[in-house]
Parts: sequence; structure tokens; C-alpha cells
Amino acid sequence: MSSGWTAPEENTLGVILGRRNRRGVPNASTAGRAMRQASARGASLGTGYLGTGASVLAAVQGVHGIAMFLSHAGEYPRLLPIALAWFLYALTLVGVAIAIATRGERMPNWMFALFLLALAGVVALDFTAIWPMHDVGRYATASVSVGFGLLVALTLRRGREILIAALLLAAAMVVAIVMTTPLNDETLPAQILAVVLCVAPSIVGLYIVRWFRRIVQLELDRVLVQSTVSAPRFAVGMLASEELARLDLAAEELLDSVATGRTELPLAPKTASVAASLATELRLHLIEGRRETWLYHAITESEQLGKSVTLTDRGSLAGLLNPVQRDGLLSAVWLLVSDKRKGASTAQVTLGPVTALPDPVTKLITVPVVMTTTGIARNRVDPATWDAISKVGAFVDSTQNSSLRVEIDCMVANPADQ
Amino acid sequence: MTITSVELIAKERDRLLQRSARVIGLGSSAVALLCFSIPGVLEGTTLLSVLPLFVVLIFSQARVGASMSLIWIILGLTSGLAILIVVGLPFGTTASSALATAMVPLAAGSLASFAILLTSNVRRMIMLVFGFLTSVVVTEVTIGAPTVATMEGASVALGWVLAAVLGYWLSASVPRAARRIYSIGRAHRAERQASETEAQRRQGARLLHDTVLATLTLLAHSGVGVAPSALQQQANDDARLLRQLRLGATPVPQSSGGYNLEQPVEESALGTTLESVKQRFGRMGLEVSWHGTGQVLLPSDVLDAFLLALAECLENVRRHSGVTDAHVTITDDETTVRAMVTDAGVGFDLKDIDEARLGFKDSVVGRLKEVGGNARLFSSPGAGTTVVLEVPK
Repeated sequence: MSSGWTAPEENTLGVILGRRNRRGVPNASTAGRAMRQASARGASLGTGYLGTGASVLAAVQGVHGIAMFLSHAGEYPRLLPIALAWFLYALTLVGVAIAIATRGERMPNWMFALFLLALAGVVALDFTAIWPMHDVGRYATASVSVGFGLLVALTLRRGREILIAALLLAAAMVVAIVMTTPLNDETLPAQILAVVLCVAPSIVGLYIVRWFRRIVQLELDRVLVQSTVSAPRFAVGMLASEELARLDLAAEELLDSVATGRTELPLAPKTASVAASLATELRLHLIEGRRETWLYHAITESEQLGKSVTLTDRGSLAGLLNPVQRDGLLSAVWLLVSDKRKGASTAQVTLGPVTALPDPVTKLITVPVVMTTTGIARNRVDPATWDAISKVGAFVDSTQNSSLRVEIDCMVANPADQ
Repeated sequence: MTITSVELIAKERDRLLQRSARVIGLGSSAVALLCFSIPGVLEGTTLLSVLPLFVVLIFSQARVGASMSLIWIILGLTSGLAILIVVGLPFGTTASSALATAMVPLAAGSLASFAILLTSNVRRMIMLVFGFLTSVVVTEVTIGAPTVATMEGASVALGWVLAAVLGYWLSASVPRAARRIYSIGRAHRAERQASETEAQRRQGARLLHDTVLATLTLLAHSGVGVAPSALQQQANDDARLLRQLRLGATPVPQSSGGYNLEQPVEESALGTTLESVKQRFGRMGLEVSWHGTGQVLLPSDVLDAFLLALAECLENVRRHSGVTDAHVTITDDETTVRAMVTDAGVGFDLKDIDEARLGFKDSVVGRLKEVGGNARLFSSPGAGTTVVLEVPK
């Protein structure tokens, strides 16, 4: 059996199988759809709570802003615009909070437009109030808070939109500063700070949300793949029953249309060739069904492992490992290749061949597992990896071509005794 | 969930906190340095003397991005506070408003960024409170304003509060998301098992697929050589079986009545099943004559393989031999059941015909070998063909 992870594009009878994506799941199949749905869910998973946190930060900063405003309330020539600005800002935040609480975690275009319009109003009112004071950086309060206010939409809108809004705010601030404030060593630090505060919350927020989503995607991928650990010795993978069901249904429809006379006999050559390929595919799925092990399915189904791990397991020995050993092996491979963010690190996992005789006492046989890697330095390996590897069996690690190489003696029950 | 999962998610959480602290810290340090470098804000000598401290601060912030160790936090906080003290010297004088403002990004951003990493346990929380108080007090003292609290001091307090809330919220977000991911994972595991069971059910319905395959093969040859009404009848039967399979039933073919997919017994009699094969080939225009015993009991998986191989051979006869009748002789001894399929057709030279092309290797030999059986093929041009199929009892 060949266990390179690439799915064969063509079967033994020369019939092209359905196009598959990287995970080996046909794009149009239900499994493929489920994968996409899971990934889409992954994108928003948990970000709602993160968005709430961002709103809390905006609220805390708002309270501080109001305190700042009140502390030099006496210096404003006209209090009405700045009071209105703060009122409008508070109203906007509360409005968005209520909308999210009642309508769910969504911000449709019209609401986002209204939100931005309100924030623009806040900035305009604040600028009107501080214009005659000739020190925007020092006296700007509500308009600086708007930079934090944008955080409310952080997880609900696309990053680019938030960023553009923040940059527009900074631009408005710069224009106001240039038009009103004399720039000298006394005033400059405050102006710099005001402009930075317009964009910094959004940039930091977007950075964090991106990292968070990446964590969620990675973890989701890992957890989905981990379900293979409990599979039987030979498994059909998530796609097999989908494929078989699809073929059965296609055959049923064809036979039905022949039976009812909708398709006339003798068949047109095109329909005949459909019948031929259906028969061939069906035959293959019935005969060649279960030759792959859980590890093969884990690697082909995973976004992360699929692109960096190659498996050689001619004897399907991975199927003999017990759940603890499987978990260890999968975790180890995962830790090795997912830990590197830059640079291509790859792992090649080879199981077998079994050469030693079964242990006369325990009746266990030893499956040699060799992991060779590229781009993984011995001293950069996560400590948890060694724990994971030791779950598989006794191991010896070395360095080959300046990358890690691990040889594991994995003791498994002899299938002949079972 | 395994221990590794918990470890991994904790690692990812820490990494998120570290990265956040680093990006905020380095950004704030850059702004602080920029503000201090504005000519007139600081004396030239003071600026030069704080530069090494900034190097230490920035280095610790870079290290914090990759390590949870408290050492870097302590080093960073100390160097940052030292900068505040140096720029505020001598004490007792009131700092210019420019200098006071320039201290804000340092104390409220650069130093506060460490607060993100100080919410996870009691020891760190104590350090958080200590760092917060020291930063605010040092800021107030170095500014040296006559009032008790300054705007700058309030901003520093705000920075620390925001950073602490951010750190706390992020630490809580990751395990929350992880719990939901694990519930998706559990659903996925159930789905995988269901998928496995479903595949087994469908693959287990071998005899059903056998008849479907035979009919599809006829259709692949456009149904030539078979009476349309017979083929329609056969298609109707097979479509009904597939529909029943799809709806979750274990279908019972009625036209032949021979094989019974929901038969609970381990062993099935060969005779009735053979009759159904005969009927089916009868409809297709191949007269099959049976000889020998019909009362052999076989384990059902062996029976499946045996019948499929037999049907495959008869299909080859029907398509290639050029004759309309075939003979099947069933014999058995203590260990083996043997079927000999013979026809008096055109035959062929074994060397000329690739066995695989007849579907012989996959569907006949492969299936029989799976149950410990074997198949042999004898033929020569003009002398007909004989296939011997053997399965263990």
C-alpha cells in the first residue's frame, strides 16, 4: 500500500476521481461543506467575547475622558459643544451595546454607517469646542476617545474598515492641529500623543484579533484531527461514506430513470459511459474501501499537517497503536510542525518495517517509528514534544542535516494474537 | 480532552498575551522616545543618559514577547521607572508641561504594557498592584506639581487599568473559545463514528451492490443484447433496493428471494442464493445450468465473496464467450467449496488477454483471497473457458 498523503487523482481503471481539495475531501461533498462551515464558525468563534472586552476598554477610557474634560471644564470658552460631544459619544456606545444585545453580534452596513456618522459628529463637536483654545493635543478629549470607540466595531466589521476609519480620525486630528495650534517644544508632545491615540487602539486591537483568530483556527484544526485517534485499525475516513452514498444515489437515479422509461433503451453512448464510470467507482469503493489508517486520515484532513507532513506506512502499522500512543504521536507531529511560524518545517514519519520477533513474554511486537524533519533545530523543540513522544515509546533523538531526527520503538499488541 | 490539549491552549494563550504586551510596549516606547527627543523637552545630557535605559527597556519588551519569565518584566519596569526618575531630576522643581506629557506614553503605555502579563496568579497580581502604584507615584513625584493629582497621573492610572483589563480579558477569552472548539471536536468525533458505521453498512450490503453493479455494467454496454423489458424490470428492482438502503433499511430482494441482507444467522445456504443468480442471468440472456450440491452452508462473508466472484465469471461468459449457456458445477469436501464455471464459447489465449482487463484480478481473485479462497482460469482459443473458484468452508 502506498501512503503518501496525496490522494490518487486517477484510480486503477483510469477513471478520474472527483476533484479534491488539499484535505482530500471533494469540494462539493457534504464533508467538504462541513469542513468549510466549521472553518467559518472558527472565524467568529469566541470573538464575540473578545468584542465585549474591547467595548469595556472603550467604556473605561470614556469615563477617563469625561473626567479629563470635567477637570478643565472651566477653561472652555463655550461648554455646550463639548458637553453635546460627550453626550453623543455616550449615546452612540450605549446604542451599539443595546443593538448587539438585542439583535445579536452583527453590525450591518447601515448600522456601521450610522455609527461612523455619530462618531464624526462627536469629533466635529469636540473640535468646535476646543478650536479657540489653540492647543488641540492638550484639550482634545471626546475626539481622542473616538479612537477607542472604534474598538466597539472591532470584531463585527472587517479590519480594513476599522483601520480606514482610524486613519481618517488621525487625519482630521492632524488637520485640526495644523490649523489651530502653534507647534513648538511646549505643545508638540501633546499633539503627537493625541494623533497616536487616534490610531493605536485600532491597530493593537486588530493585531490581537488576528492572533486570536489564528489560535482558534489552529486549535479547531487540531481538535478535528484528534478525533481520528479513536478510529478502528483501518478506517474509511470522513469522506468514504459520503462518496459511497453519493455513488449509490447516482446509481439509484440512473436505474430509476431506466425503470420508468424516462431513459430509453438502448442507452445513448453518453449515458452508457456514465453507467460505466459509476460501476467502476462503486466497485472500487466497495473493494478498496478500508486500507488507510487513522494517521493517514489525520494528516490528509488537517490543513496544518497536510502541507508539511509526509507519511510512509507500507504495512498500515499505525493502526496497531493504542489510543495513548496515537495521541502522543499525533501531538508530537503537531508540536513539531505547527510551532514554527516562519520558514517551512516539514516532517517525514515512517512506520515499520517490523523486523524483530515478538517479545516471548509480553507477546508485544516492536514497530519502529522514525521521524525525520527539515528546518527544526533540536534545541528549539517545545518541551511538551518530548512528553508526547515518550507516550509512543522509548526513543532516541539525534540531528540529521541540522534538523531533528527521532527514532521511537513503539510496542504494540501483535495483531496475530487478536 | 488530553493533557496535551490543555497545555497547548495555555501555551497559545500565553503567546497571545506576550505578543500583545510586546506590540503595545514597543510602540509606546517608540512614542515616548520620540517625545523625549523633541529639542527643548529634555537637556541634551539628560537625554543621553536615559538612552541606555531605553535600550534595556526595549530589550526587555522584546524578550517579554517570547517568554513569560518575571525577570524581563522586573527588568523592564525597573529601567522604565529609572527613566522617569532621571528625566524628573532634580526633584522639588515642577516639570514643564511638555515633559510631563512626554512621560505619559512611557508610564501609561510602555510600563503599563507589562500589566497584560500580570493577571494570571496571585504573585503576579501583587506585582501588578506594586507596578501600578509605583508608576503613578513616580510620575506624580517627578512632575512635582503643587496639586495632589495631575492629569498625567490620571492618564498613567488609566493606562494600567486598561492594560490589566486587556490582559485579564484575553486570558479568559482563549479558554472560552477552546471550550467551544472542544464541543465542536466532540460533535466531529461522533460524526466520524457515524460516518464509519454508515460506510460499513453500505459496504456490508455487498450482494445488493453486486446486483446493482451487474445491472450498471449492462447499461454501460447500452443494454445491447438484453430484452428492454427485462432490463427495465431489473433496474426497477435494483433502484428499489438502493432506495431502501438509502432510507436506512436492510432491503430484502423479492424478485429472487434468494439472498437476504437482514439474515441474522452466520451461515447461509448456497442453493437458494444460486437460484437467484440463475434467474438474474436468465433475464440477461444467459442460461445457467447448475450441477452438484446446493446444500452447502457458508459463513456469510465467504458466501458474499463466492457469489460475487461467480456472478463476475458468468458476466464474463455472457459478454465474451459468444454462447448463451454456461454450466456451474458445485462440489465440496471437508475444507473447501469449489465452483467450476464452464462455457463452450470462443475461449481465448491466456497470453493474449490481460487478466486485469476482464476485471478478473480485482473482482474475482481479490475478493476470494480476502476470505482465504482462490481462483484459476483455463482457456484456449476455440475450446471454451473454465474458471475454478475455491473458498474455505
